[in-house]
Amino acid sequence: MNTDFLKEIANNNSLLIILKEIEYSQKLEEIIKSVERTKVCYVCLSKPYADVMEDLKGRGIDVTGFFFIDVLTSHYKEPEPTENCIFVPAPTDLTAIRVAIKKAVEEKKRNIVILDTISTLLVYQETSSIVKFTHHLLTEESQENVKKLFIALKGNETPIEDSQKLIKDLTMFADKTLELS
Amino acid sequence: MAKKIMIVDDEESLIELVTAVLEQEGYEVIAAMNGEEALEKLKTVKPDLILLDMMMPGMSGREVCERIRKDPKTKDLKVAFITVAKFSETGRDVLKKMNVLDYITKPFENEDLVVRVKKLVG
Repeated sequence: MNTDFLKEIANNNSLLIILKEIEYSQKLEEIIKSVERTKVCYVCLSKPYADVMEDLKGRGIDVTGFFFIDVLTSHYKEPEPTENCIFVPAPTDLTAIRVAIKKAVEEKKRNIVILDTISTLLVYQETSSIVKFTHHLLTEESQENVKKLFIALKGNETPIEDSQKLIKDLTMFADKTLELS
Repeated sequence: MAKKIMIVDDEESLIELVTAVLEQEGYEVIAAMNGEEALEKLKTVKPDLILLDMMMPGMSGREVCERIRKDPKTKDLKVAFITVAKFSETGRDVLKKMNVLDYITKPFENEDLVVRVKKLVG
């Protein structure tokens, strides 16, 4: 997958990557391994930063170039300040997530943003708010050369109808939609 | 008889602007603040053109268009998008497949709106 996937990243500024829940873990690992030596901003939308770090390290992924944005930890405890992570107050605060991504891209010079997983936001937000959020991210003028990978789960714990609606709407804006299975 | 244009947008100010501009040109404007309201109104009116916003609460413009195309009573209606959204190439292909005739990017010049509406409905 690595070569093909790297070509897709090179040829497109934004990719909507649709994964089946059952294959999520394995496919995500392949995606991350494809970009592990680049400057990645990893937006943890479905798991706290600490869990993501442990998971990635457990899979032998080199995370030295990674900068994280965590939207969950602050929701239930005071996060320990970490150099390579911004803690956003809540997953409902889409503006704060956008600001954190902007900071990661502009100040920390990350050139690939991975949103894992955009469909998780359906737990907290209406589809239209997530679509607007995504559209804002894709049209940020200062981030024109930043690659954005939106991971979406097909039929996850949110109602299937909602995730299908979200995927169809995001397809309208993403340069390419890849259904990996 | 005046041609009917339906505008579907959650922004009241945009609806007011489009209504004023098009009424001045002799069109009859039917407004809907969201997709559900538009589909309900389409049960009783047959506009010559529907101008759809893409990003609205509830149903998106894409979904509204999809539903219009699925209903035998509305499937042949002319649809254009009027939106701030920047569609990707894939998005533009989806619009073509849904037989969307045009998309007008917000903000627009009033004259441009008139020209494009005239081109679509005369």
